Amino acid sequence: MYVDPTRNQNAGNLRWILPYCKPDLPRVIGSVILLFVNDAMAIALPILGGVIVDEVITKRHLELLTKLCVAMVLLTLVRVGSRYGYQMWMERFGQNSIFRLVSDEYEKLHELDFTYFNHTRNGDIMSRMTSDTDAIRHFLSWVSYQLADCIVMFVAALAAMFVLSWPLALALACVTPILFFLTRQLSTHAAPLFYAVRNSLADLNSMVEENIEGNRVVKAFVREDYETQKFDERNDDYMQRNMDAAYNNRRFMPWLDGLGFSLQLITLGFGGLLVIKGNMTLGALVSFNSMLWMLDGPVRQSGWLINDWQRFDASCVKIRRLLTATARIQEKPDAKQTVAQAVDIRKRVGIAQPSTTPERISGEIRFDHVSFAFPDDPHTPILKDLNFLVPAGTKLGILGETGSGKSTLVNLIARFYDPTVGNVFIDGIDAREWPLATLRSQVSIVAQDTFLFSDTIGGNISFGATRRDDPEYIRKVSSVAGADAFIRSMPQGYDTVVGERGVGLSGGQKQRLSLARALADDPPILIMDDTTSAVDMETEAGIQKQLSNLDASKTIVTIAHRISSIKDANLILVLEHGRIVERGTHEDLVSAHGRYWSIYRKQLGLEAGKSQGFEK
Amino acid sequence: MAQRNTYKEDEELEEKINLHDIIRIAAYLKPYSGQVARIVSVVVMMSCINVAGPYLTKIMIDTAIPRKDITLLAQLSGLLAVLIVLYEIGVRYRTVAITRVGQSMLKDMRRDLFTHIQTLPFSYFDSRPHGKILVRVVNYVNTLSDTLSSGLINVISDIFTFVVTLVVMFAIDWQLALWSLILFPLLVVWVRILQIWQRRAYQVLSNKQSNLNAYIHESIAGIKTTQTFAREKKQFDTFQEQQGIVRSQWMKAVHIQSLMWPGVQTISSITIAFIYYVGIMQFGGVKVTTGVLIAFLGYANNFWNPIIDIGNFYNQLITCSAYLERIFETMDIKPSITDRPNAAPLPPIRGRVDFNDVVFRYEPEGRNILNLVDFHIEPGKTIALVGPTGAGKTTIINLLSRFYDVSEGSVTVDGYDVREVTLASLRRQMGVMLQDTFVFSGNVRENIRYGRLEATDQEVENAARAVHADEFIRQMPEGYDTIVEERGSTMSAGQRQLISFARVLLADPRILILDEATSNIDTRTEEALQAGLNNLLKGRTSFIIAHRLSTIENADEIFYIDHGQIVEHGSHEKLLRQKGAYYRLYESQYAMLKVEDPDR
Repeated sequence: MYVDPTRNQNAGNLRWILPYCKPDLPRVIGSVILLFVNDAMAIALPILGGVIVDEVITKRHLELLTKLCVAMVLLTLVRVGSRYGYQMWMERFGQNSIFRLVSDEYEKLHELDFTYFNHTRNGDIMSRMTSDTDAIRHFLSWVSYQLADCIVMFVAALAAMFVLSWPLALALACVTPILFFLTRQLSTHAAPLFYAVRNSLADLNSMVEENIEGNRVVKAFVREDYETQKFDERNDDYMQRNMDAAYNNRRFMPWLDGLGFSLQLITLGFGGLLVIKGNMTLGALVSFNSMLWMLDGPVRQSGWLINDWQRFDASCVKIRRLLTATARIQEKPDAKQTVAQAVDIRKRVGIAQPSTTPERISGEIRFDHVSFAFPDDPHTPILKDLNFLVPAGTKLGILGETGSGKSTLVNLIARFYDPTVGNVFIDGIDAREWPLATLRSQVSIVAQDTFLFSDTIGGNISFGATRRDDPEYIRKVSSVAGADAFIRSMPQGYDTVVGERGVGLSGGQKQRLSLARALADDPPILIMDDTTSAVDMETEAGIQKQLSNLDASKTIVTIAHRISSIKDANLILVLEHGRIVERGTHEDLVSAHGRYWSIYRKQLGLEAGKSQGFEK
Repeated sequence: MAQRNTYKEDEELEEKINLHDIIRIAAYLKPYSGQVARIVSVVVMMSCINVAGPYLTKIMIDTAIPRKDITLLAQLSGLLAVLIVLYEIGVRYRTVAITRVGQSMLKDMRRDLFTHIQTLPFSYFDSRPHGKILVRVVNYVNTLSDTLSSGLINVISDIFTFVVTLVVMFAIDWQLALWSLILFPLLVVWVRILQIWQRRAYQVLSNKQSNLNAYIHESIAGIKTTQTFAREKKQFDTFQEQQGIVRSQWMKAVHIQSLMWPGVQTISSITIAFIYYVGIMQFGGVKVTTGVLIAFLGYANNFWNPIIDIGNFYNQLITCSAYLERIFETMDIKPSITDRPNAAPLPPIRGRVDFNDVVFRYEPEGRNILNLVDFHIEPGKTIALVGPTGAGKTTIINLLSRFYDVSEGSVTVDGYDVREVTLASLRRQMGVMLQDTFVFSGNVRENIRYGRLEATDQEVENAARAVHADEFIRQMPEGYDTIVEERGSTMSAGQRQLISFARVLLADPRILILDEATSNIDTRTEEALQAGLNNLLKGRTSFIIAHRLSTIENADEIFYIDHGQIVEHGSHEKLLRQKGAYYRLYESQYAMLKVEDPDR
């Protein structure tokens, strides 16, 4: 993190963004100097024109003409050069600040937990990272200097005018309070509208994203028209929100613009009157007139700049909300030290294997009176008072109905959730005590939803591995996962690029790839959450055989619906509505003639009454 | 298999001529040409007022003040006040009207893009990161917004101002006018050179941005995987690298883009110096009075402003053309599977399915995925497809619902070749339940109703009950009205399968296809499901792909598929007696379960 998100938590948006800009502030200071140079040149150029008229045309000092003309071109060169300079510096400044901001967003996202992602649409996160940050970039590297330019010009011109004629300058300055009032009004009204535009865009984004992700379902049900209709609603809404903002502009912009225009009226009417009454010279009025654009430009532009500022504010609010979102799962401070001490003491007392180190766990899992409910639905217990011990290097099988809490159980092991009641111990140390990275790199969950990155197959498998560049190793783990054969049969083998989420592969192929990926990580604890459901039985048998040959020291947790996948486990748990209803080995459970037994018989086909053809 | 695009790879752009894009964009403007004409006339009126302001000042200075004519001064002020009011009415109109035209165009374009994407085949979605598709529909179109509305209209009024100024200048003194145009070719060259560089820079930039977006998108989608493997650091490094590339490319592009203004400004300033010089020194036969010279300089200033604006607009247009290319490129992709011109809707079918010597390969020269598959199925039969992963089971089903077209042979439904009927009528009579279950965000009821939009609540619940989803749905906090999040992340995989099962049943298709639809469902639920299913399968032709033999034993006919061919077919009993591949499969499965059965 470049900036601690909790810093300036209650400050205004400008104060909040400042630390992100800090390393580039020298550029801003340089830009301010160049801005003054630019503005000085901008004011000097008309004066030079005046000199030519007065000295060369009126007083016929023709010898000065060439010099003055050259000076004019030189001043212009200085002006465009300094302007180009500060524009580039400000761009760089904006880009660097955004770089830090987006990096922080990205890092923050990876710290957030499942609970957050279960309730946040990907499209929303996407707009946080793209269009919202772009609004901030625009503000930092464009609106900022435009505003500064306007203010400097306005003040400088007004000051010069006070010198020329204070009554007329005072009359012109009268617009300032009105200007403040109007811009104030505009910004309060615009803020919620821009917020609505952003929200509507996020909705549109999410809808399109879902449509793209679900394109197979859309096609299968011939719902293209329905989808288009859904899209139209959001598309219309987005336009409508933009129109709302335009209607708000219609309320204020003519007044602001008119205010700028009325400066001409004041100069013409009141200035003319002053000259006629003899309170002002004609020359002063002409100078006044030539400087008028420096006042009226800023006034006319103010509304648009205020709008951009409001956009910036709306985006800031959204990004700040993301950056300050709190993950429920957080590493304890000094987790590394605490665990190192705990491991050390356990070794001294003699209850830990000497091989255990604070970096490499041995793989013992213990659930002690664990109950769990999702934080957002605290009244529905998902897991109820679970107690069990899986010694390091043994196998645990979990069987249970759809929605009985199996996946939640394994998510507790890798600490994607914390138990509501009770403790989960890994190597005898509470999972909450372990540094998150250590714990998670030691526990590999092969999830039900197999997500593959758009990368080569080899790249995907070596995603978590430390020995990334060893093709031999990658091939070995692939063959354990039963994937080597089909990968090699592909035209480009391990270099075949798979689409996002592994589209283009069959369910069974994806599952095997994600198993290989987990194996490549060489974790002491391997959790397979229904990993082989789409793999045919023969292949599965091969995988299991390979797995058991692979490494006797691995603790393996298997969730499955097929008895065949778990029957060799040292301990089998049968879950029902979040409670362990049966436990034991395959033999124990079969002889107990309970739920396990009946499922087993069904899967054997003993009750289907259809296997008569099979004589054995 | 089509070459896939990862976040890292730039997409190639083939189209070179951007005039073509401009013409196409004009087509989007056409429906609003009336409004645009109205806005342009208002804007022209406004610029006339803008020009009139200084003129009034001139009258005041030349006439009213020397004569000390307060009445004239009051009249002039009054006139200016009226003009201001008129002008601001114009501003008021313009503010909303421009937004309306611009947003309407974008809306149309976004809709066209979206509708078009709906017609594209799986392979389009499979072959590139979804983030890249997403930014085209939303972000790229949005970047066009200012250019196409306010930019375009301002440029029209600028051209008007430019022409008027030019005419006035020539009317005052054609020689001096010519002198002041002397650097104009230089300007054209400058703009042209910048345009070439800029176009290249922006093309690269849009590519890099697209890559970064795709990477962000994928990172978000894969965040759980990243966390599971504790690879946050590595992902973060890649992200920063991508972001760094975009940053430096951005800087490159703005360095070029920002050169436009300095160039124009310098040329303008040289020209003004030139006018002073030529005018004062009476150079090259130019003879002008001081008054004319001053007026001329005023106009020369006006003359360059529109040029700068036009230059800026041109800049924006170039920036946009990089995005436009992307948008039009997407629109130009022809869907490979479309209705034939004379395709008739498929009448209500009974459900007979014939595969006549079907051969299928993805690419003309590729290897055969299916090789002479030939079968004929009577209405109402249940067919199970078994065989190793990758044998071609899913391909058979994709050909039946015409997600791909056969390379040789034909697929017919009730005697109608699937290529001869409309896609919508064909797929509507088929219910496909895929390996990947997809749940939309919304409530459970809506998700099931996706199968048949006009179904009543009662029908939805009946379907859920039939697939035994009713029980767990009722246990959810709000029952059928429970909101499920994107991709159904709050439900288990089995629950999602049940939901999509209910969805298919609600659609009440004649031909039912279950592609490993029950793999994540536990045995008890599956068994119960099967009981309900048996009723539902009645009268429908069904294809079932499954690995669990308990699911397929009841099928009327079992096809054992391997290497793209039907190796064995027949009923469960018949195949077991044959003692072939199916028998071995069954035996291995049985053996795996049976070892050391203490019951025996």
